[in-house]
Amino acid sequence: MKIVVCIKQVPESNNVKFDPVTHNLVRSGTTGRINPFDKNAIEAALQLRDAIGGSVSVLTMGPPAATEALRDGLAMGADDGYLLSSRAFGGADTLATGYTVAAAINKIGGVDLTLFGRQAVDADTGQVGPITAELLGVPQATFVNKITPDATGGLTVQRDLDDRTQTVALTTPAVITVRSEINHPRYETPVNIQDSFTKTITTWTEQDLNLDPDRIGLAGSPTVVTKVYAPTPTQRATRPLTGTPDEAVDQLIAQLQRQNLI
Amino acid sequence: MELNWTPQQNMLLRMVGEFTNQEVAPYDMQIHADGHYPEGLLDKMIGTGFLGLMLPRQYGGADFDPEITAEVVRRMAQGNASAAVTLEGHYKTVEQIIKFGAQSLQDKYLPTATSHIFAFGMTESSGGSNPMGIQTTARKVGNHWVISGNKIMITNGGLATVYCVLAKTAPDELSVFVVDSSMPGFSFGKQEDFIGLRGVPVGEIVLDEVTVPADHLLSQQGDGMLVGDSAHDDARILMGAALTGIMEHALDVATDYANERKAIDVPIGHLQSIERKLADIAIGKETTKLLYQRAAALKVAGQSYSEEAAMAKAYGSRTAVSACDDALQVLAGYGYSREYPLAHLILDARAMEIAEGTVEKMRSAIAQSELNK
Amino acid sequence: MGGSRTRHWPHTARHLSTHHQARQIANGRPVVAILLEGDDDSFEQQLADYGPDEIIRVRDAKLKRASDRTMADVITALARAERPDSVLFAATPQGRSVAPRVQTQLTTGLTADCLDLRYDDNLLVAVKPSYGDNVMCEITCPQARPQMVSVRPNTFAAERVTNSQTVIRDGDVPVSASVGDTIIDEHVAVSTATGVNGARKVLSLGRGAASDQTVALARQIAAKLGASVGVSRPLTDRDDFSVEQQIGQSGNTIAPELLINVGISGATQYLVGIDQSKLIISVNRDDNAPIMAQSDYVYVGDADAFLKSLAKRLGIN
Repeated sequence: MKIVVCIKQVPESNNVKFDPVTHNLVRSGTTGRINPFDKNAIEAALQLRDAIGGSVSVLTMGPPAATEALRDGLAMGADDGYLLSSRAFGGADTLATGYTVAAAINKIGGVDLTLFGRQAVDADTGQVGPITAELLGVPQATFVNKITPDATGGLTVQRDLDDRTQTVALTTPAVITVRSEINHPRYETPVNIQDSFTKTITTWTEQDLNLDPDRIGLAGSPTVVTKVYAPTPTQRATRPLTGTPDEAVDQLIAQLQRQNLI
Repeated sequence: MELNWTPQQNMLLRMVGEFTNQEVAPYDMQIHADGHYPEGLLDKMIGTGFLGLMLPRQYGGADFDPEITAEVVRRMAQGNASAAVTLEGHYKTVEQIIKFGAQSLQDKYLPTATSHIFAFGMTESSGGSNPMGIQTTARKVGNHWVISGNKIMITNGGLATVYCVLAKTAPDELSVFVVDSSMPGFSFGKQEDFIGLRGVPVGEIVLDEVTVPADHLLSQQGDGMLVGDSAHDDARILMGAALTGIMEHALDVATDYANERKAIDVPIGHLQSIERKLADIAIGKETTKLLYQRAAALKVAGQSYSEEAAMAKAYGSRTAVSACDDALQVLAGYGYSREYPLAHLILDARAMEIAEGTVEKMRSAIAQSELNK
Repeated sequence: MGGSRTRHWPHTARHLSTHHQARQIANGRPVVAILLEGDDDSFEQQLADYGPDEIIRVRDAKLKRASDRTMADVITALARAERPDSVLFAATPQGRSVAPRVQTQLTTGLTADCLDLRYDDNLLVAVKPSYGDNVMCEITCPQARPQMVSVRPNTFAAERVTNSQTVIRDGDVPVSASVGDTIIDEHVAVSTATGVNGARKVLSLGRGAASDQTVALARQIAAKLGASVGVSRPLTDRDDFSVEQQIGQSGNTIAPELLINVGISGATQYLVGIDQSKLIISVNRDDNAPIMAQSDYVYVGDADAFLKSLAKRLGIN
């Protein structure tokens, strides 16, 4: 089975701060890391490859520094990597990203399964997987927590949709996005880390992918971020529960009874 | 600030940090309380390839150098010192086989070093600090050596499957041999019940007429002290690293507490008496780090590093004990509680004032080295 | 675009809070609900109680267990026929799976997982958290139409209206069978301790209540209260919790009637995640912890001692 895992490089930490004067976002730490949810997708791909054979490629769109995220995937055991990198891709929203990624999947050719993590921990959209599936014209299974290859070359997957679970018979080619409960991603091993620097990473630009300039980067992005700010939760009129723990619990229980919560 | 590592080394260190945080650190208290590793931890360490870290590529290893090996041990010790010392015992043993083993011996054992733990047996009940006092003997019979004797207090003893052992090949001659636990005449003896580093199995092996081929002799007959000293030197760098990791752990606990705990209105971290302790811990761990990193750098450069390695261990072990004690004092009553790790960090560090040569022996070696310059 | 024919399109009857939100921001614009249902379903009345101006119903046996692709195709066809100005989805797993496929077919913008919405003139401003709820972004779709968003469940409470005058009509669009993505089994998720999302009561644990004994005791108390157990970030490192129980991480905004926080100091993302809770009780050693100002009742003291007293009071040994 030929598998491509689409990954994203995200900031090291989500503990962002705002500059008190400029109100601009200050990102703590400069180095990036692979989106943790994407490691579940890579692990799922490696397990499939180990079970039924085939290959696992990792693919990302981003600046040249995003090579680091690809190396992480290679150090987990993926076979090769693809970097979609160009200034023209800058400012892409999910639609423009999906368009670029789908074109790369088509150019790689013969891809049976395209895997995504549930969402990126920075933008938190989870949209690029379904967008890519639509553009590739293939079926999808999202929020998947189990993948079982079947005898006919298809996949039986279980989806967890919070209020219900579904078992879906998926034919390939297909797109799957996985939940984080699907597996525990393996660590990069020292040997794989050394090897990851000798594996092939192919870089493609908009020319290589023959892309419509109106559908990539900023030009191809219908949405615009107009404002970024720190959230301010509502303050409440706080009343204390007082005394010993037993006394405080008595006051709490009385409140809960008054409000029919107990 | 970190040293200028290569991208490969940076990736490795990041992985080790994640591994330590997720797989090792959560079990630190439990390891001390239970006196053994939790189920599956060693399998995870082996599965993630830690044993083959510095092993050459042709044997399935990753061929990382001694500087980075020490950093891995330090990071592991930030999570749990026992796990770091189990790696230390393995690395120092494998290294002597790489340095001194015949090609045929290396081909036989090194491929197993990625999945099996190795250990070095020197100490005997009668031996003490005088190696010539040991009772284990090896006598040549045809093309083989026949080894008999008991080795005690072996780091990873009982856990390891391959052992280097120091034996007398003549009344005033020492040599080192490789034996493995599957050989006829090999058995395990008493396991120690130590007060610190409680995850590390420390035990005895009993050799009763264990017969090994001639190529199981490391280096030349009579080179026992050479091989043994080399193992000590390599181990002492890694112990300096482990001690640094312990101090970093203690400093973390102490600063967290000092930031949170308040005396009247200010966090206690602003009290001069607390500041002084935190500063001393920080200086101690940085100094130890400089010592072991310098020894490792000399080793990578192919220069003598024996004295610097001894300094890293001698200075680091006493400093770590006192640093962990300072950290305990910062937490006061909580520090003395089993709920916090400081008591066992003191005991973990304390082991390294004894193992791989006592502090007293270290000082004597350093002094002699200075006298003879 | 825009004007009096502006329409809002909440889809799927299961997430009524989305409909309510559409009504709130509509300000005179017609609100049209899209209902996809199986041939023997009838969710119309249930939906009408929440007051859309119109319901467009597509009823088909193939929609009983429809794949994402089938649903996306139906909604896309309706959108092409009706030309709505804005389309709202519930940001449930299902909504977040279908909406991007619709967006792609319509070549327009979609903002995921919004916490708030408003119109600036006819431009829909979507307020969306990022960086695990540490940051809020306002996102618009200035050119392309429809303006699409998915709205996080529970950010607005669903409210019934009386005397709704909802018009119900059938949407005339083809429904294709699922090919290559057949749902061969579906069942309602067993409500174990996993979900905090729709829970009526939540007992939430943080760094100050992280020991094995505390967690075990809290589970007993939660069971007695009929509450789900939630956690803040540090406890997701434990084997028995994951991001699925984490409150205040994307997707896990809660709106229970009762929330008890034990040993939680209150990182920004957590405070955003619990903002819609009705009654908030917090127990913490530090009375300056950010959680305290956002609570209705606070107890300053030891989490373990409090839980032990609570357990005793509830008759747990």
